[in-house]
Amino acid sequence: MTDSAAQPDGSAAIHGVEFRGRGAEYFRIWIVNLALTLLTLGLYSAWAKVRTQRYFYGNTILAGHSFEYHAKPWRILIGRAIALTLFVGYTLSVVFFPFTFGLWFLILAAAMPWLANSSIRFNARNTSWRNVRFDFSGTYFEAFMAYVVWTAAALALFPLAPLTRRVHDYFYINHHRFGGRSFTTDFPGRRIYVIYLFGFILIVAMVVAALAIAGALVELHIHKLLGGVTIPLGPNDFAPIAFVVFGLGSLFVGSFITTLVTNLSIGNTTLEGGFKLVSRASGLRVAWIVLSNTFLILLTLGLYYPFARVRLARYRMRKYAVRGDGDLDAFASEALTAQNAIGEEIAGFFDFGFGL
Amino acid sequence: MTAPLEGRYFHPNAARHVPARASATADRMLRIEDESGTVLAQAAARSVKSTARLARLTRRFDLPDGARFETEDNDGADALLRTLRKLRHGRLTDRLERAWPVALLSAAITLAAGYYFFVQAMPMAAEWLARKTVPLVAHTMSEQTLRALDRFALKDTTLKPAEQARAQALFTRTAAHAGGGAGAYRLVFRGGGPIGPNAFALPDGTVVMTDELWKEVKNDAEVEGVFAHEMSHVDHAHQLQRVYEASLFPATLVIFTGDMSQVSQMTAILPSLIVESAYSRGFEQQADDDGAATLRAMGEHPSHMAEFLERLDKKVCGKTGCPPSWLGDHPDTAARAARLRREDKGPIPASEDCLKPWRSGISLHCLAFN
Repeated sequence: MTDSAAQPDGSAAIHGVEFRGRGAEYFRIWIVNLALTLLTLGLYSAWAKVRTQRYFYGNTILAGHSFEYHAKPWRILIGRAIALTLFVGYTLSVVFFPFTFGLWFLILAAAMPWLANSSIRFNARNTSWRNVRFDFSGTYFEAFMAYVVWTAAALALFPLAPLTRRVHDYFYINHHRFGGRSFTTDFPGRRIYVIYLFGFILIVAMVVAALAIAGALVELHIHKLLGGVTIPLGPNDFAPIAFVVFGLGSLFVGSFITTLVTNLSIGNTTLEGGFKLVSRASGLRVAWIVLSNTFLILLTLGLYYPFARVRLARYRMRKYAVRGDGDLDAFASEALTAQNAIGEEIAGFFDFGFGL
Repeated sequence: MTAPLEGRYFHPNAARHVPARASATADRMLRIEDESGTVLAQAAARSVKSTARLARLTRRFDLPDGARFETEDNDGADALLRTLRKLRHGRLTDRLERAWPVALLSAAITLAAGYYFFVQAMPMAAEWLARKTVPLVAHTMSEQTLRALDRFALKDTTLKPAEQARAQALFTRTAAHAGGGAGAYRLVFRGGGPIGPNAFALPDGTVVMTDELWKEVKNDAEVEGVFAHEMSHVDHAHQLQRVYEASLFPATLVIFTGDMSQVSQMTAILPSLIVESAYSRGFEQQADDDGAATLRAMGEHPSHMAEFLERLDKKVCGKTGCPPSWLGDHPDTAARAARLRREDKGPIPASEDCLKPWRSGISLHCLAFN
């Protein structure tokens, strides 16, 4: 068991993180909850979500204590019902009347800051460690600047993307609090540019590779190689093959870059009271885990999914730590009001990722 | 009276904690004592909130003042709650989640339900919705689609008025024998541009034919077959059904899987591609069969459609024709042609009409008859 340990050379104590979930155990939880969700026509999904979150938080141990997830299933259910209605309305109106897309775009842009704040706050307030809750305090204006203005700037001018990413991470981390104390991250912009530049080079290499591989496969007519077994591939398959190779490649580069940026953002974060966060995951290792997980999930028609999640969590959590000699007993919860789940669920449906 | 439960006591809303033990009093109170037996807290059972058992997670008892008792001893916690007469829900879910036979049963339920939802219920729901869709919506959608195609792909027609009149006459003749009747369809001429020799139907009954397709036609029955095929798409509102399926599928997946992020994203995209193309292959087969029936009603042979299909195929893909492939939305041309030739002898029995998504290959870019 990883626990707190003072360093012999007198430097600050390191509190390790570990994930204790097991694939076979989570598999049963996952499949039973999935079946219950299906049998209840989706109603149980809110309870399933809470149990899944509880499993992952509760098996994440920092300095001998687990995290906890507290959200109430019925709040999630209400949020989900509202989100689903909106999502279906959005999808149908856009396919039938493509020109309503502009209107939806404006509505979503205006709602985005609210969605970001309420989604992040919902998750923070429902998370605790050692009986002390997290909190999040971003304002509408700040979220508007981060998620609308900076995102638009990055879309308009691609070289701004790394800075936008930093703005998002600053917004996310610097408004988080634990037991009334603030998290703060700060790092020079050039370090994030180096990571993105590296990612850009990888992407260019990948596009070239994707086209070459697709071309070679089609050219070879691989059924000839496999002697007798006909795998029909022709010029028409060039695009699908390139698409799949490119998809796998971008998954690889994406996880690689995200890991390095997370190391940067989390690794430069301090918590008031004399604590510093540590994040040392290897980008290559995470990318390998994500890619091989995806492959195994497809191969097993989804059955590997729970094992994949546990495998990734186990590696990621092991690479986080908290360093510092501050008093862990000194934290105490602020008075917080409960938060509804509407924003969180809408963000989930539209697949807006707020967070790291 | 059960044995005291070993654990930790957290002071109200604080991270500070001491080793402690919990027990039930005779009057249904939860009592927390430290190691020396000093009472740290006591609360009525009904005001205590305990977490439901889940795998090996630490069990927690939240007291009304923000204090908390927690223990790793899940069996002990269940025993204590039973004494307090507070053990209700939650235990059942946990038991289900532990048992491998239940897991296997759940996997079977998931597969069966998945099959039912995506192969049976979804197409049925989409068809029902497509039939209920008001004509105004179908009309607006068709107009906007055609406008978008005109801007990005299609060109103005270069067919001479005489050719147009001839095509229009054949179209009217086919419409009279098709499901919707003469007034239900409208023929529109366009230059195909990148789309090449092709014809497709829009939900409001508009059938677009490209000049390139017209130039490939060798006899009337061929183009009448194309028209009849497209009219069937209109009659069954196939395009609307596809729209509904495309919107229902991701929404359903999000509900059941709970999130659209990371790993699930990849797994969500691939099946949806396959399922969608399976649905539309079913539509193509239905349109072929209806087209054959219309041709027979007009006194023509459906095998003309087969020949035309094969000729178009060679035109688009070269001498050997388009090879069947894994992804795409049209059945393999050879299989379609063979089926159409059998239609010469009369309709193929309904037992063979069902959706057979995995049987035939498909070609993504050989867009003969859309």
